[in-house]
Amino acid sequence: MLESLSEHPLRLPRLRPYTAPADAPRIFQFNEEREGIVQEVIDRIVDPAKLSDARLEPLLNDAAFHEVRRLDAQRDAEAAEALPGWRLLVRGIGRMSDSEKRRAMQSIVHHMAHDIAGNFDPRVYEFASKGAPKLLTGVLQPSRLPSTLLMGESSSVDSLVKVQGDVQRLRALERRGTLVYVPTHSSNLDSLVLAYALEQSGLAPVVYGAGKNLFTNPIISFFMHNLGAYRVDRRIRANVYKAVLKTYSSVMIERGFPSLFFPGGTRARSGMIERHLKLGLMGSAVTAFAENNVRGEARPVYIVPTTINYALVLEAETLIEDWLAESGKSRYIIVDDEFSRIDRWLAFFRKVASLHGTTIIRFGEPIDLFGNPLDEAGRSLSPSGRPIDPTSYVRTRGQATVDAARDEAYTRGLGDVLLRRYREDTVIMPTQLVAHLLFRRLVAMTPGVDLYGRLRMRGHARIPRDELARELVVARDALLDLQARGVVRVSPNLANDPPHELIYRSLSVWNGYHRRVGARDDGQYIVAEDPTLLLYYQNRLVPFAETIAPEPLKAAGREIGTLEAMR
Amino acid sequence: MSTVVGVVGAGTFGIGLASAAQRVGNEVVLWSRGAGRALPNGHRATDDLRDLARADVILVAVPSAHVRELAARLGEHLDGGHLLVHVSRGLAGPGLTTLTEVLRSATPCRRVGALAGPLVAESLLRGDPGGAIVGTLFPEVAEAVRLAIAGPSLVIEHSTDVLGVELASALVGILTVAAGYAHGLGLGPSALAVLLTRGMREGAEFGARLGADLRTFAGLAGMADLVAAVANDGRPELSLGEALARGGSIHDAAKVAGAHIEGVTMARLLVDHARRSGVHLPFLSTLTQIFQGAVRPDDAVGALLGGVRS
Repeated sequence: MLESLSEHPLRLPRLRPYTAPADAPRIFQFNEEREGIVQEVIDRIVDPAKLSDARLEPLLNDAAFHEVRRLDAQRDAEAAEALPGWRLLVRGIGRMSDSEKRRAMQSIVHHMAHDIAGNFDPRVYEFASKGAPKLLTGVLQPSRLPSTLLMGESSSVDSLVKVQGDVQRLRALERRGTLVYVPTHSSNLDSLVLAYALEQSGLAPVVYGAGKNLFTNPIISFFMHNLGAYRVDRRIRANVYKAVLKTYSSVMIERGFPSLFFPGGTRARSGMIERHLKLGLMGSAVTAFAENNVRGEARPVYIVPTTINYALVLEAETLIEDWLAESGKSRYIIVDDEFSRIDRWLAFFRKVASLHGTTIIRFGEPIDLFGNPLDEAGRSLSPSGRPIDPTSYVRTRGQATVDAARDEAYTRGLGDVLLRRYREDTVIMPTQLVAHLLFRRLVAMTPGVDLYGRLRMRGHARIPRDELARELVVARDALLDLQARGVVRVSPNLANDPPHELIYRSLSVWNGYHRRVGARDDGQYIVAEDPTLLLYYQNRLVPFAETIAPEPLKAAGREIGTLEAMR
Repeated sequence: MSTVVGVVGAGTFGIGLASAAQRVGNEVVLWSRGAGRALPNGHRATDDLRDLARADVILVAVPSAHVRELAARLGEHLDGGHLLVHVSRGLAGPGLTTLTEVLRSATPCRRVGALAGPLVAESLLRGDPGGAIVGTLFPEVAEAVRLAIAGPSLVIEHSTDVLGVELASALVGILTVAAGYAHGLGLGPSALAVLLTRGMREGAEFGARLGADLRTFAGLAGMADLVAAVANDGRPELSLGEALARGGSIHDAAKVAGAHIEGVTMARLLVDHARRSGVHLPFLSTLTQIFQGAVRPDDAVGALLGGVRS
C-alpha cells in the first residue's frame, strides 16, 4: 500500500477550478497547460517528418526489447500490468502496417509522457513553503512548535541554508527570459535545498526531473509530485523514452517554465566536484531555444551555474562506500540509502539544526547557452563586452534552424564552461578542510601505500590539537588567497571562526550524525579514526590540494590531487 | 551551392586556400595586414577585418603566435553565425591551450574547427589531388570547409576529436623538423623510420592521456601528414631541420627555412607541460635539447636511437 502511494502519489481533490493569479509564478499555470504539453510532446515525436516510416519498426523493437527485459527483472505490480501489452506488441510488429505502427508508437509515447508529467498544486506549494520549515522545527524541538507557529518566528531552517550570489540579478533576468538552474549534485536533498533557496530569495519555483527512486517514501513522493517535479525512470533504457524526456523538458523550457537539471546526472559518489557531465537533459535547453527561434520567438534562456555546499551530507556514508566498491559493483541508482530512512532524516536535521551555515547554496554568475556573460538587461556579451544576438548561434545562412548535431555540440561546450564554473563557485566548508588536513597527514605518514591500504589504517594518523589548528590557519590562508584570485570560494565560518572552534565543531558535526566516527579528540591529539568518512569530505579539496599544501606536505598534497583521475 | 569564403592571412597557405576556394566557384574575401602589395594568382586583399563579416566560413591562415591577437580583433565584427577554422599546425600556449580554444575565447564564435592533414600551400595552389581533415564538434563546420575548398580530387574528412587533430598536427610539425635533421645527418630510411615512429608513438600516447583519441594520430591529421612531409612535399620544417643538422643555431636555421617555424616552439611546449604533469617524454625531450643546440649533431643520433642501435 505504501509502495503504491509512492508510485501513484495522491493529488488533492479540487473543488473549484483553479486559475492562477496574473502575477503568479509560471509554474502555477502548469496544470492548465499539462494536457497541451503532453500532446505537443507526442505530436513532435510521432511527426512523420521527424520519425520516418522506416524508423518506426526499429524504434518499436528497441522499446519492446528493453521494456520486456526490465519488467521481467522487476516482477512487480507494474510488470504484471504492462508485460502482456509489450509481449502482444512483439508478436504483432511483423504484421503491422505503417499506420498501425505509428499508432502503436503514439500510444507508447502517450503513456510515457503521462507517466513523466508532473503536477503542480499551489496549495501544496503554500504549505511546503510556509509550513514545512515550521514543521521541521517541530520535529527538531517539539516544545517550541506552538510558540513558533503562534509568533511566526523565523525558524531555525533559515539559518540552515544560506544563499550566496546575486539574487537580485536573477530576479531581474527571470522577467526577461527562462532561467535554467544547473547545480552540483551531492545529495537527494539538493532539489529541496534549491527549492527552499528559491522561495526564500523571491525567485520562481522550478520544474525538474526527479528520479523515480526519490519517490520511495509516500510523504516525499507526495511533495515531489505536487511541486513541479516530473518523474524520470532511470531504469528505462528504451530510446523512445529518452526522446520523450528530452522533448518534454524542451517543451517546458520553450513555454517559459524555469527548470532545474543536475548535469552530473547522479549524486557525486566520491564527494568531489563534478569532473564529467551527462548532458542529455541539459541539451534540451539548447533545443528549446532553437525551437522558439524557428517559431520566431527569440525568448532568452539563461543558465545559472549553482553549487550546493554541505558541511554535513545526509548520505555520505553510503555514497563513499559505493564509490570505493570494486568497479562493476558501483550502483547508478541507490534506493536504500539514508534518504529513504526517516530515522536518518531526523538525526540529520536534529544535528544540522544546532549549527549555523551548514548548507550554502551559491548561485553563480548567469550565462547564456553558449557560455557568454550577460549584461544587466540580459543581453549576451561578446568577449570584449559587445552585446551580441544569441539567435545568431542557431542560424544557418541567416535562417534559424533546429540542428541536433549542432545543438549537441553547443551543449558539450556549455558543459565545459560549467565544469570550470563549478570549481570557481564551490564553497569550501570547515568539515571539508578539517577532513583534508587529517587525511593529508595520513598520506604523508604512509608513503607508498595505496588508497585502500590507507583506508584500513583507522586511528593511525593523529595530529596534536594545536598543531592541527596551526595547519588549519595556513591552509585557510592559502584558500583565501585562491578566493581572492577567483579560483574557489571559502565559507564565512571557515574564513572567520577561530581554528579550535572549527575543529571542535567539525568533530561534533560528524559524531552527532554519522554512525562512523570520522575523527575524535583523545585529549591531546585529534585522531583520524575513519579515513573513509574523512575521504568523502576531503574530496571536495582535491583540485586544490597541491596548491594549498605547505612545502613539507607538497608531495602528500600532490598525491591527493591525483585522486581526480580516479573513476 | 557556392559560399562566401573568408581567408585571413595572405601568406603562402592563405593564398593557396584562396586559390582553391576560387577554383571551385566560391567568392573569396582575402584579408592581409598590408593590403597594398601585389599577390600571386591575381588575388586582391582587403586590410579591413570588417569585410570578413559577410563570409559564411572564415579560414584563419596566420602563424599560431598571431592567432590570438588577430582573433580578438576579428571577433569584434563576428557573431555566433560565423564558422571559424584555423589552419595553423600549432598550439597557442600557455600550456597546451589549443587554437580552437583561442578562437572560442577571443571571439563570439562557437562553431570552430581546425584544418589539418597533408595539405601544403603549393599543392593547394596547383590544385593537386590530396586530402585534409577538419577537427570540429560541428558537422556543419566540416561541411562548410568542404564547400569552401574541396573538389573532386581534394577530399576533406571530419573528426570530432578536435584535441587529437590539433595535437597530432603540432606533433607532426615537430617530427618534420626531426626528419629534416635526420636527413641532414645523412641517416638512411631505417633510422629515420625508427626515430619518427618513436616520436609519433610517444606524442600520441601523451595526447591520449590528455583526452585525445589514439586513432586520430594514425589518421590524416597525424601519420598521413608525416608521410607527406617525409615524402618531401617541400615544407619549410624540413629545411629547418637540415640547417640545424649542419650545426647552425636555431635563428640561422629559421632564416634559411623562411619565417615562422612552429615545430621547435611546439616541442618545448609539449615537453614543459608533460614535465609539470609529472610525465616524462624521453624522445621529445631529447629532440627539444637537440633543437636548442644543447646536443651536438654527432651525439644526436645516439641520443635519439638510444640503445636500439647495434
